[in-house]
Amino acid sequence: MSEAIDTAAFAVHAKNVRRMIVEMIYRAKCSHIGCSLSVADILTALYFGVLRFDPAHPDDPKRDRLIMSKGHGVAALYATLAERGFFAREELDSYGTDGTRLASHVVRNALPGTETSNGSGGHGLSLGIGMAIAARNAGNGARIFVVSGDGELEEGSVWEALLFGSHHGLANVTMVVDQNGMQSEGSTETIIGIEPLADKFRAFGWDAAVVDGHDFTQLIPAFSHSGSRPRVVIAKTTKGKGVSYMENKWQWHNSSPNDEQYKIAMEELS
Amino acid sequence: MRFEVVKAIYQAGLEDKRVCFVSGDYGHANTEEFKRDFPGRYFNAGMSEQNIIGIAAGLALSGMKVFVYSIVPFITLRCLEQIKIDVCHHNVDVTIIGGGGGFAYANAGVTHYAIEDVAALRALPNMKIISPSNPTEARLLMQALIKVGGPAYVRIGRGKEPDFELEYAPEIGKAGIVRSGDDITLIASGAIITEAIRVRDMLAEQGISVEVANMHTIKPLDGDFIRARAGIRKAIFTLEEHNILGGLGGAVAEELAELPQRPLFKRFGVPDMWPDVVGSQQYLRDAVGIGARDVAEKIRDFLR
Repeated sequence: MSEAIDTAAFAVHAKNVRRMIVEMIYRAKCSHIGCSLSVADILTALYFGVLRFDPAHPDDPKRDRLIMSKGHGVAALYATLAERGFFAREELDSYGTDGTRLASHVVRNALPGTETSNGSGGHGLSLGIGMAIAARNAGNGARIFVVSGDGELEEGSVWEALLFGSHHGLANVTMVVDQNGMQSEGSTETIIGIEPLADKFRAFGWDAAVVDGHDFTQLIPAFSHSGSRPRVVIAKTTKGKGVSYMENKWQWHNSSPNDEQYKIAMEELS
Repeated sequence: MRFEVVKAIYQAGLEDKRVCFVSGDYGHANTEEFKRDFPGRYFNAGMSEQNIIGIAAGLALSGMKVFVYSIVPFITLRCLEQIKIDVCHHNVDVTIIGGGGGFAYANAGVTHYAIEDVAALRALPNMKIISPSNPTEARLLMQALIKVGGPAYVRIGRGKEPDFELEYAPEIGKAGIVRSGDDITLIASGAIITEAIRVRDMLAEQGISVEVANMHTIKPLDGDFIRARAGIRKAIFTLEEHNILGGLGGAVAEELAELPQRPLFKRFGVPDMWPDVVGSQQYLRDAVGIGARDVAEKIRDFLR
């Protein structure tokens, strides 16, 4: 790393993102809070420290792309895009209301910065690989980041895409696994065990790094890596991160806080 | 039709650097030229249909013009959700070429019969469905479709379909008149048009004059043609190598049902049951009641 990472600045953005997530889901009483809080630092690291883009030119072919394959974590994406200036924060107030542009899974072009429609697991990596081929052929230097959940790895299409990515040496693709260890009905390991995960990716021909998904000094260098092979960053995260009573509770996969819980959450995130 | 279609894509590849080709290991040598001449734009992704459609959509989202190529049942139903979201919702320039429509893979058994694809894809917004009847038409429709772009699905045969001269210039979204006639109109789509022509010849001997129309574009359907015929014909029939539900016959029925006055109407297609018989394409058509003899007989009885 050529320059030190200003973790304090990232932490401020991440806290803002988490506050927006809690606010949106508290008001709307809909969708996935635990997995939005777990991915908040990953998205903050990417949008504030890694991705190359110009919010004023969202269609620039040279832009780095982020595909939110775990589309159910969309509240985190909306909050991060608002924090990064893609659209006004007031837009978030419409979340969960009739006629809003903000669905509770990602819809392409519904808002600036939403590249693809995702909400069904296992679509994102193949989309990213197609974009990576196009970028490589164009020689424009664009990089593709695909953010996946760990439960999502149960989808077979992910593994089809992994085979293709390594066979064609698509070094401009980075898959990020938000490994919060939980899915809808419980812990991922008790539902369908996926460990040893890094070994599986390496066996499929990808570089794999395991990092603390809440530590910017680990996330940013891992995302900035360049090599000859595609890479997976397994980000170990805590579901519900930042709100004590939600942390590591699968019940908060997609529950919404009541008035009292909301107050506590916002105090903890102040 | 396979060779004509791939040739048209090759020609497009020469003229347009955005043209990419993703195969599901279905080339059998006829994609060799594309692969040789356009490196970086041809991929055999192996048997991974969900991945293929996703990659195609990702390429198209980056401005490429993508053609995908495999056997109908695999490249339509196995990856239906990727077609729905990645291609049709994103509304990108991906054209799916499906080989072996209907019973083209006749003795391959039920895994390879392709008689549900049109019904499944017809419900997807933005999707165009093209079902050419012979090699010449396949070539002409592909050339036209390449200009229009995807999302599209082209349902072709397996190869070696009989060719015949067309008396019309095929135009996407417009029915073509294969044989003229005055009493009734028989609308067919795809390679089974040859059976429709036989039906016409059989009925001509019995004094019934049949117009054979080729609805090579199942979506968007040529509603103008159907309404025009509804006004002047005693009866309209459809014939397809597809489940009787949701395909060409269903599409025409939807159009007719909403007219204030309509002629007699009957569909011929594969009954809604598993065709657990094996044999040649003709044997299967006859076995499920879409062979020319059965159809001619039923039309004659229906008109009595």
